[in-house]
Amino acid sequence: MAPREKNRELREALEPIAELGGVPSASGGPSHLAALSKTIMTPFGGSRSDSTRILKDLAPVIMTPRMIKGVATASSSSGPKPLAPRAADFAALGRAPMRITLHPRRITSTDMQILEATPELLHAEVPEPQGIAHDVSLIRGFKATIPSAERGKARRRKVRMSEGRAGLLRHGIGERGLLTETSIEEPGKSPRKGKGRAQRRQEREQGHVLGREELARQVGEIRMDKENLHVRKTLVNSEIDEITQKIKALDAIRDQLHQDLLKLQEEELELDDELDGVQEQLAEREAAKPEVPSPAARRKKGPAFLPSEHDDLPPGVAFMTLSHSSPITALDFTEPYGTLVSADREGGVRVWDLLEGEEVGRLRGHKGAVKAIQVEGDVCITGGEDGAVRVWDLRRVEEGEPTEEGVVVNGDVEHQEGEGELPQGPLLHVLEGHSKAVTALCFEDTSLVTGASDKTLRQWDLNTGQCILTMDILWAISHPPISTPITPSLEGLSPSGLLAAASGSFSWPIPSTGEMWTDYVGGVQAWGYALVSGSGDGGVRLWDMRTGQPHRTLLGHTAPVTCVQFDELNILSGSLDKTVRIWDLRMGRTADLITYDGPVTSLQFDSRKVVTCASENGVKIWNRTSRQLSTLSINGHTQPATKLRYIDRYMVSGGADGVVKTWAL
Amino acid sequence: MATDLPYAADAEISLSWDELDVLRQQYNIELEKSHVTVQTKFNYAWGLVKSPQREHQVEGVKLLQEIYRAEPGRRRECLYYLGLGHYKMGNYDDARKFNDLLLQKEPNNLQAASLRELIDRAVSREGYIGMAIAGGAAAVGTILLAGLVRRAMRK
Repeated sequence: MAPREKNRELREALEPIAELGGVPSASGGPSHLAALSKTIMTPFGGSRSDSTRILKDLAPVIMTPRMIKGVATASSSSGPKPLAPRAADFAALGRAPMRITLHPRRITSTDMQILEATPELLHAEVPEPQGIAHDVSLIRGFKATIPSAERGKARRRKVRMSEGRAGLLRHGIGERGLLTETSIEEPGKSPRKGKGRAQRRQEREQGHVLGREELARQVGEIRMDKENLHVRKTLVNSEIDEITQKIKALDAIRDQLHQDLLKLQEEELELDDELDGVQEQLAEREAAKPEVPSPAARRKKGPAFLPSEHDDLPPGVAFMTLSHSSPITALDFTEPYGTLVSADREGGVRVWDLLEGEEVGRLRGHKGAVKAIQVEGDVCITGGEDGAVRVWDLRRVEEGEPTEEGVVVNGDVEHQEGEGELPQGPLLHVLEGHSKAVTALCFEDTSLVTGASDKTLRQWDLNTGQCILTMDILWAISHPPISTPITPSLEGLSPSGLLAAASGSFSWPIPSTGEMWTDYVGGVQAWGYALVSGSGDGGVRLWDMRTGQPHRTLLGHTAPVTCVQFDELNILSGSLDKTVRIWDLRMGRTADLITYDGPVTSLQFDSRKVVTCASENGVKIWNRTSRQLSTLSINGHTQPATKLRYIDRYMVSGGADGVVKTWAL
Repeated sequence: MATDLPYAADAEISLSWDELDVLRQQYNIELEKSHVTVQTKFNYAWGLVKSPQREHQVEGVKLLQEIYRAEPGRRRECLYYLGLGHYKMGNYDDARKFNDLLLQKEPNNLQAASLRELIDRAVSREGYIGMAIAGGAAAVGTILLAGLVRRAMRK
């Protein structure tokens, strides 16, 4: 806008002069001098000071002296400005409504812009006015805010000034409603009428002349002013509301951006992981091992390739439901959209095709419920309440009744198929040795480790079916490893609890449900010779399977440990004390503690997140980057989730409501 | 909502120079702080539209268009002001379009009805003058032609 810029230039040109305190610089031309003298005179000019005063009233905060000067200058300077009245424009006054074809119009680019905009504007929707637009019309606001709205006030002030101090006092009384005095005086006026000018002048000097009409007029004016003020207040209020809304919207956008940033960071981490995995694979290849990485290796590292539709699934929403008849006690699956094996409390073990979402068959054989399941490729191992461990070949699972013929107890025979043995049933081996329920197991290649309520851990050779090692947790409790500082009574369970755990059968009331927790060994994980177990005494133990001795015990949980998992850096253990502890492997200390609302029954983690079931309907996800806890509950379980397992972005969870849900993460 | 609109006659009453200047200052101050309230913008725009100077009117209509774009809630009112602005500028076509759209929404709007009348009158007057000019030109042409013909006939 050319006129505004020109104005500003003019003002800026004047500012140095004004700031120098009225010392005209040599560079200032005569017009500047003239403007300056006007600036200095401005406060004493009648109408001009009016306008600055009004402006001050309109925007008291922003009217710095410099601005007042600017205003005064702008209105007083007679320089050539587009918006200033010019001699030529006075002629326009007369013909304004008479502009006809005889006078060629000056068509400017703004004109063209305006005309071009018309069709677009006409097409815009015109909604019913609401809110402030409904309450205060633009013209009402205009009338309330334009300078002339203040005219009455100025006039009253003048009247009062001339009226004098006494009159003001009287007027003040009159305004408070004590008009009686005046009205009494009024009738008294008529007899005085003939008293002549001198008398009246005297009265005026005494301040008696403020007549009824003037007062009534003032009342009307003040009412009008008040109404105008009300309108302006409404306008300002609505403006404040609007700004509040805008700030809220901006805040929301900023939050969203923060979230996006977090997501990007996570993606970066994910890529780092993927790169590590791929590089490792590459290194393996180059080490001249043509062997294809086993499924177990893939489970730990590298990306699993999901069907392309998986990316289209909304994350955090359960998209499939598989029903059992009673609460889920254990589950595991081979790979996303692969095969799932799940067990319920009534002893049913079902095999599902995750691509179709259909039951493929059942694994029958255990007496009582199955408490631990692991699936790798076609091999499935289950541990049951009956103390037995069964090894299954999932390829042989079929609909219909399998027989138990051809099953070799504690395998005298290799489990190759088609070796003359009857291959009807999926069962390959039954490993017996535990005297109580097998509650945790972990196998890799041919080595299997199981934990059971008889308070022992056993290592098995899957080729021979023989138990090669038995590790007694009770013995470990009474012979703590030397390297561990002996502070069990301070941090771990109370000695009485330990004693109770040591004697006879183990049980612990679950805080939320009141049910008893009887799984002494909550979880085991083995990797190479390293073994980690979490048990009912609240201890997390690191075992060396070459010696069969625990070399470290991590104490901190105040209730039985229900699940453990470790990687190169950390051990994570979940417990009925409603926490997950993240242990630093090198320091042997709790590096972090995640607190939940309910006892933790199952967990799995990777470098970015810790996913847990914590006796809530929703599955909990702790973001290790943002340290935020979120809940997956959309289309989820209707009773607490108990078990979960995920690979890559595909998760399966089982709940007390007897259903298995599959999720996209 | 009881329509609260000024009659077209109001638009012909110009503000005093001081008043318009105050409105402009207020607008510019808010513009520099990059938050212009609708009321301030309208005040300035309406002040400009009321001005007899065409440049002012154009500027005013432009501001009204800005309000119209940015504030859907104010569109109903702005239809009228846009109509009035265009009318003052002499863009009777556009004035009629805006005013008719308003009348379509509020058939009983007195101010809009009166503005329509004014526009109609202005258009017909423009038409008459145009016709008068054309007629005059035709008459002059005829006379010239007749003169030529007569001169030719004489020879």
